[in-house]
Amino acid sequence: MWPLPFGGVATLHNTLDLNRSVDMNFSVITSQFWSLALQGLSLGLIYALVSLGYTMVYGVLRLINFANSEVFMVGTFATLFIETHVLGYAINAPSLHGFKLIYTLFFAFVASMVACALLAILVELVAYRRLRARGANRLASLISAIGVSIFLLESMRIITISRPMTTPRLLDKWSFGTFHGANFRIDTMMAIIFPILIFIVLDQFVGRSRLGKSIRAVSMSEENSKLMGININRVITLTFCIGGLTTGAAAFLYTTVYENTVFNVGFSMGIAAFTAAVLGGIGNLRGAFFGGLALGLLEEFASAILGSQWKAVTVFTVLVVVLLFRPNGLFGEAVQQTRT
Amino acid sequence: MNKKIVSGLAIAAAATLALGVVATSPAQAAAKTSVSLAFEGPLTGGDAQLGQDQIPGAIYAIALYNAKNPKVKVTLVKADSQCDGTVAANVAPGVAANKAIIGVIGTSCSGEARASFPAFKAAGLTMIAPSASAVSLTDPKAPDRGFPVFHRVVAHDGFQAPALARYAAKGVTSPKFYVIDDMTTYGGPLAKGTLATANKLGSVVGTDSVPKGTADYTSVASKVKASGANVVIYGGYTTDAAKLFKALRDGGYTGILASGDGTNTSDFPGLAGKAAEGVRLTAADVPFDKLLTAAQLADFTKITGIKVPGLYSTTAYNATNIFLDCITKGALTRSAIQLCVTNGSWTGAGGETIKFDRYGDIIGGAPVGGYLVKNGVIVYDSVA
Repeated sequence: MWPLPFGGVATLHNTLDLNRSVDMNFSVITSQFWSLALQGLSLGLIYALVSLGYTMVYGVLRLINFANSEVFMVGTFATLFIETHVLGYAINAPSLHGFKLIYTLFFAFVASMVACALLAILVELVAYRRLRARGANRLASLISAIGVSIFLLESMRIITISRPMTTPRLLDKWSFGTFHGANFRIDTMMAIIFPILIFIVLDQFVGRSRLGKSIRAVSMSEENSKLMGININRVITLTFCIGGLTTGAAAFLYTTVYENTVFNVGFSMGIAAFTAAVLGGIGNLRGAFFGGLALGLLEEFASAILGSQWKAVTVFTVLVVVLLFRPNGLFGEAVQQTRT
Repeated sequence: MNKKIVSGLAIAAAATLALGVVATSPAQAAAKTSVSLAFEGPLTGGDAQLGQDQIPGAIYAIALYNAKNPKVKVTLVKADSQCDGTVAANVAPGVAANKAIIGVIGTSCSGEARASFPAFKAAGLTMIAPSASAVSLTDPKAPDRGFPVFHRVVAHDGFQAPALARYAAKGVTSPKFYVIDDMTTYGGPLAKGTLATANKLGSVVGTDSVPKGTADYTSVASKVKASGANVVIYGGYTTDAAKLFKALRDGGYTGILASGDGTNTSDFPGLAGKAAEGVRLTAADVPFDKLLTAAQLADFTKITGIKVPGLYSTTAYNATNIFLDCITKGALTRSAIQLCVTNGSWTGAGGETIKFDRYGDIIGGAPVGGYLVKNGVIVYDSVA
């Protein structure tokens, strides 16, 4: 057996009854540790990508972009639309292979990112820019973002008559192999590798590029940035665009892994991603990334040990406890310099 | 006060009372030339197929009734409560406020029924549900029971749950069950109801409750696989069952997958894809197309536009016919309908006798059918 960070097997009060008591089953940690860790990484990194969308905007505007969850939702439908309507694959189409598979997935990936980036820019123009120009109260921007979110949600509800939709399985879920029960499936690995690459690129962009430096400058002081000749509106639009791109990537990965979407898919994802951002330290890129990771792992292990019904309770209990001791989140102070 | 005014007022009051009595008398009701029945269930939303499969049964029954040129025509009002108690709590008062509606064919889901009870009880509006099967809805001890307005023409989960466990384990030599529910009014009790039978047939190696609407079922799939289970039973609805079963198959689980009537909708194979193949489903329903002659089926298709009747179109047809029979017998008010439904006796489409007990269940119950997904289609297999 591979060495574990904690030992022992214990099963407490496993009643085999569907009551709502806490049935703690610690044996799953030893039997499924690597499987749960892999799935937690996969889920957490999808959260991290959406979380980056929240944290980028917060870093610059000090406002929560409540419409980001619906940007994610539109991204999932964009992926579905591209695969079924633009590329013409039926829901029961056979899986693709070789160059055709790579081309198709790449096209859907880019299309989802572009669709979300354009929508995020539109959200900024509609919900934020005009209010900002008129010196409106910050709350007004929050409410307008919520308004845009509801508009998008309800529009999609009407368009889809609230029906869930499934995507074709274009990517056959073959496995690279298993390791102590953890199945290294292609879609799981994509959901791990893609976000890590995107995060590294984004981190380098914000830290090293001229545009990235301008984002950080606006984040630190809007007034001083203006004096230094930085075009504030351009920077804010760029920030929304980047947030849209990462959220679009998350939407593509979500659709590829789970193969379904529905008009309110963004709600639970938005809650999770926002929680991840707060857990890691909102406004902080690395905080959002590691917050997403932590949340994904926490959800998987909480579901396995306590039962799925206790997942949300556990997550939010941990969040509250973390915030009690570290009000700025796990990485809020330690990596303050990387604030966007 | 002036005596003339007093006597005038007395005459006016007496006249008002008299007119009031006349206005609500059976004689006045009998003068009606049309009444409405409502179908309440999911017509949009994630579980829409459940309602969309049922409503043709009601449409067909009403079309046949109206074609006979009766004195009182019947129209159908559609109320979409999306298999969601919250939505139903908003929809039901609107249905109750529509005075033309004298009976409700519905609801499809148990949560919807529970949320609709306050409005329908207050309005005295009788319900006959084609598929709401939670035991508590007719349990005299349950605080959320639907007495006296609720009735159902489907066997409750006290019958379905053991049948589901039996059918799921059919042909499996030493079944090891893993039972999962969606924490809804329907799914939770259905899943729990399978445990006793499952323990008799084999052993229950694990249970889990995953809230309806969850996106990620991978941790459940890991637990199921690690448990060594070879029979998974899910108490829940189609959309989540599709996600769960996909996650289980993708996670390497190769055993039996089974679920109840909440998953037995015609869109399930499409949503679950390859994971749907071989899934075992139950329902307290006999397929309508097996009860109709070829000519009747052609007529059904012509009227509803549906080639193959979906699940519970038989029970929806039966529920509608009970109301129509009462209307034919002159029950044209809500109170008269309630009296008729509570005390009457009918013959269902399959020749069975339908009579309700005091709390709204069919006396004697009803058989539970076992269904299989074969080549992307749900087909009737045998009695479960």
